[in-house]
Amino acid sequence: MSRAKITALILLAFMIFLCALFLGPRTINPAALTDVEREILFKIRLPRVLVAFLMGMALGASGAVLQGVLRNPLADPYILGISSGASLTAALGIIGGLSFLGAFTVPVLAFVGAVATGGIVGVMGWKRGGLWPERLLLAGVGLSFLFSALLMVLMSVSTDEGLRRAMLWIFGDLSLSDWQRVPYGAVLVFAGLAVSVTRAKALNALILGDELAHSLGFAPRRERFVLFVSVGLLTAASVSLGGMIGFIGLLLPHIMRFFIGSDSRMLVPASALGGGSLLCIADLVSRSVLPPMELPAGVVTAIIGAPYFLYLLRRKDVLSF
Amino acid sequence: MSSASNQSILELSRVSYAYERSRPFIRELSFSVGEGDFIGLLGANGSGKSTIMKLASGLLRPSSGGVSLWGKSLAELRHRDRAKLISYLPQTLDISVPFTIRELVAMGLYPYDIPPAMSVGDALEMTGLTDKADAHLTDLSGGERRRTFIAMTLLQGAGLLMLDEPMANLDIKYQIELVKLLRKLRASRNISVVMALHDINIALQFEKVMLIKEGSLIGAGPPDEVLSRAMLKQAFEVDVDIRRSGGEGVYISYADHF
Amino acid sequence: MKKTMIFILLAIGMAFAVPDAGLALPPQRIVSLAPSTTEILFAMGLGDRIVGVTNYCDYPEEAKKKPKIGGMSNPSLEAVVALKPDVVVMTTDGNPKEFEALLRSLHIRTVVFTARRISELPMGIRDLGAALQVRDSAERLAAGIEQGLQRLGAASRLAPDASRQKVLYIVWPEPLIVAGPGTAIDDAITLLGRKNIASAAASEYPKYSLEEVLREAPDIILIGKGSGMDMVEVSRGMLKRLTSVPAVRNNNICYLGDGLYRLGPRVVQGIEELAQCLEQRSRR
Repeated sequence: MSRAKITALILLAFMIFLCALFLGPRTINPAALTDVEREILFKIRLPRVLVAFLMGMALGASGAVLQGVLRNPLADPYILGISSGASLTAALGIIGGLSFLGAFTVPVLAFVGAVATGGIVGVMGWKRGGLWPERLLLAGVGLSFLFSALLMVLMSVSTDEGLRRAMLWIFGDLSLSDWQRVPYGAVLVFAGLAVSVTRAKALNALILGDELAHSLGFAPRRERFVLFVSVGLLTAASVSLGGMIGFIGLLLPHIMRFFIGSDSRMLVPASALGGGSLLCIADLVSRSVLPPMELPAGVVTAIIGAPYFLYLLRRKDVLSF
Repeated sequence: MSSASNQSILELSRVSYAYERSRPFIRELSFSVGEGDFIGLLGANGSGKSTIMKLASGLLRPSSGGVSLWGKSLAELRHRDRAKLISYLPQTLDISVPFTIRELVAMGLYPYDIPPAMSVGDALEMTGLTDKADAHLTDLSGGERRRTFIAMTLLQGAGLLMLDEPMANLDIKYQIELVKLLRKLRASRNISVVMALHDINIALQFEKVMLIKEGSLIGAGPPDEVLSRAMLKQAFEVDVDIRRSGGEGVYISYADHF
Repeated sequence: MKKTMIFILLAIGMAFAVPDAGLALPPQRIVSLAPSTTEILFAMGLGDRIVGVTNYCDYPEEAKKKPKIGGMSNPSLEAVVALKPDVVVMTTDGNPKEFEALLRSLHIRTVVFTARRISELPMGIRDLGAALQVRDSAERLAAGIEQGLQRLGAASRLAPDASRQKVLYIVWPEPLIVAGPGTAIDDAITLLGRKNIASAAASEYPKYSLEEVLREAPDIILIGKGSGMDMVEVSRGMLKRLTSVPAVRNNNICYLGDGLYRLGPRVVQGIEELAQCLEQRSRR
């Protein structure tokens, strides 16, 4: 039953991947490629669609994991302040005009900001030998406020041009995707996914609460720490791949629960596939509606996803809370 | 606690425990649970019933003293192996994610790489939840919710069940149902039970009770002996009387207090 | 009743009389809220009367020494008021409309520079000169710009094959932001008889599709100067992805100054720089 569903999801994701590759501002017919089209396909679209898929996977999976780790259906990868930290360091790079690592400067800065913030949140959320969901959440929210304020300071003193570029980055920008980003993105995302999926039983148990998780033979503090680190890496990878894209981390796991059930062993990979697919569609739309201009993909994910989620919410059988 | 005939499966020896930055809460506590025991754990709120159960199941680590399960030291057991021996069900079981009953019960298999002889279907059957397998927790009655987690521990194969106030939100019908189910499982699956509870009337139906006050065991044995007027007064600081009407009926008279 | 009406009318008249009185004398204390108007004011010989400029006013050199009043989109009202200006010069291209209303409510006179296209620049300068009572120098500046534009336009019409050249002006490489329709840069490219491939985009400075650049295959790529950064370095990654485009293949890439970013006296200079680049590159 669920195997059939996962197979269907993989097929669907693959089809969406192909659509994102061949459709766009203009359709490319893979059977009759001109030179320019070949160039566009391999140099621009393929890396871009791959990066979009990886980033969507990271967001979907980390959302599904985090909602379990924090035992909070409203948690998303951005609630821990990781994205605000990443935005702050990235904006520092953009507005300050840093380019010590060439094209990698901003992604690396974002990654460093994300990991550092994750570390701070982890330290703040640590008490009596373990991470506490409420402490993590509050520390994340507190840090978010601080970093957003610092970001506003930075933006207020920047030139209008730097400001616009920083805004474009913060609202998610996949146009920068090139082949260079694919390998490190793939390594981080698949590493994070591997940890999450192999720890999926522990994640299920953690959702039941630390006491039941322990009763079922897990060390809840250790499991929560491992999953927290993997979520941190996934989020950092996603932010460094394409900035901040909302909706996927928060609401996609809920949509997937409707189709695939709540078992994390299915839900985490399904949310990864669903997130990748949704971001590919959103990116396809964002570069196709007003060509040659491109819209921020993050805006499109919410415009496509939110009404669908609200429709699901109206059907009473979807969510039990 | 254990009589000479049955083997001791849980043994606490001189266990002390202190919550962070406070005086020891449990001091040098020793007791044992024998195979087939069905024990009621009684005591006032905050007397340490939950703490004792958590110490026994390894959820809390004693600051001194030792706990052993079936003769093996709890501290040296791997988490998964410990889960096959003892299971602790907390009082509140609120779960925000809509797992189905089947999914929840199946989590009892987590300590195993090779599934044991019992199947999810068997566990559902034994707890009378077969019809509810695809429902969610929120669709179930309080009694069915409890049974869901008992089915989970059945799959886990734990021979000792620690239940922290499982009756707290159940009306009398479900309380009776739960005790009957646990007795049935003791007979058919050789499961021993330690249950924290508040209702002295129910405790009087148990074969053994333990009375806790401020982290110490002040009495253990058959309820007739332990739950005397004097002992209850010591444990709960109220003066209540136990009356027996005819053969079976037992009740507590609160008359002096109202 | 009638008396009351007269009183009200008088009161209104008085209220207006204060700024009107200022109009009678040439303003002595001017605050400029945009780099472009700062340049125009200096070019009209009003440099000495400027008492405040934005943080971004960096041309001419003297402008850097003037007291600063904040950014273009977020000027400080207090800083402006503290300078006791007779008049504040603003633009519709960058200053918030609300700021003008605020200044007016404090009885500070404002002059708004509304030109946004190259063709509107001379008229805009004349209007500004009239408002600040420096008609003659404004006229000289405007006429000079008109002549320069005519000269450049005429020269480009003589250039062979110019109309077939496709041009892309890159404002920032990553993310790719280009000069689209309605910008001085688009005007300049059109004036020089070339085709801006981004002239059909949906906004003035759109975030542009990289694959459309590959498809449109511009013959010449122009890269603007941006916030003091080394644009050759910053653009390298993007150009690597456009190697099949004729402009990149033939190294027809020019790095330009900021003359065309500000609709002011240096526009002609900016177009000249652009024309020079286009000419050199087409000769190759």
